[in-house]
Amino acid sequence: MTTVGTLFIVLGVLVLLLASSGLFVLKDALSRQHAATKAGSLGIVMIVSGAALIGGNWSWVWRAMVIVILVWCTMPVASHMLARAAIRESRSKDEVSDTEL
Amino acid sequence: MMIILLVLIVFGCVGVGTLRFVLGPSDADRIVALDILFSSAVALCTFAALSTQRVLFLDIAIGVALISFVATLAWSRLLEMRNSHKEEI
Repeated sequence: MTTVGTLFIVLGVLVLLLASSGLFVLKDALSRQHAATKAGSLGIVMIVSGAALIGGNWSWVWRAMVIVILVWCTMPVASHMLARAAIRESRSKDEVSDTEL
Repeated sequence: MMIILLVLIVFGCVGVGTLRFVLGPSDADRIVALDILFSSAVALCTFAALSTQRVLFLDIAIGVALISFVATLAWSRLLEMRNSHKEEI
């Protein structure tokens, strides 16, 4: 059980590192949001479930389940709002550049 | 000993997020960096719970996840309202 939990935690940390590297690899705010929120939610879920597997106690497991359900319910809504704000901001910036030209 | 390496990797994520938060050309980039910083905070709370064997830190992780949701929602809503106000003018 501890080995599987350690494997989950290592994979989750690597996914989180991949998500944060997307902040500098990608070029636009919209694509950065795509990398960050999606991979970030997967990384958090893998880290927390690995911690629940290592802890082994029932009190660890239900807190980890609360975090997983919370992240899976709230992260898509937050990323949707973020994507809408990014699109709105890029569109208003284009309009400003058009009027300046 | 292995958890120290994982904490250092997550500190690298925090450094990258802070750099994007400072450099970010638009304000939407700053909110994306804030999201990464909150995800790293939840991961660090979980590592604190593992290294001290106290389940109390997972409660703090629940609170940080809730604050992350509310903060991202409020900042992106503010950005959207500001830009729509600019379009009306």
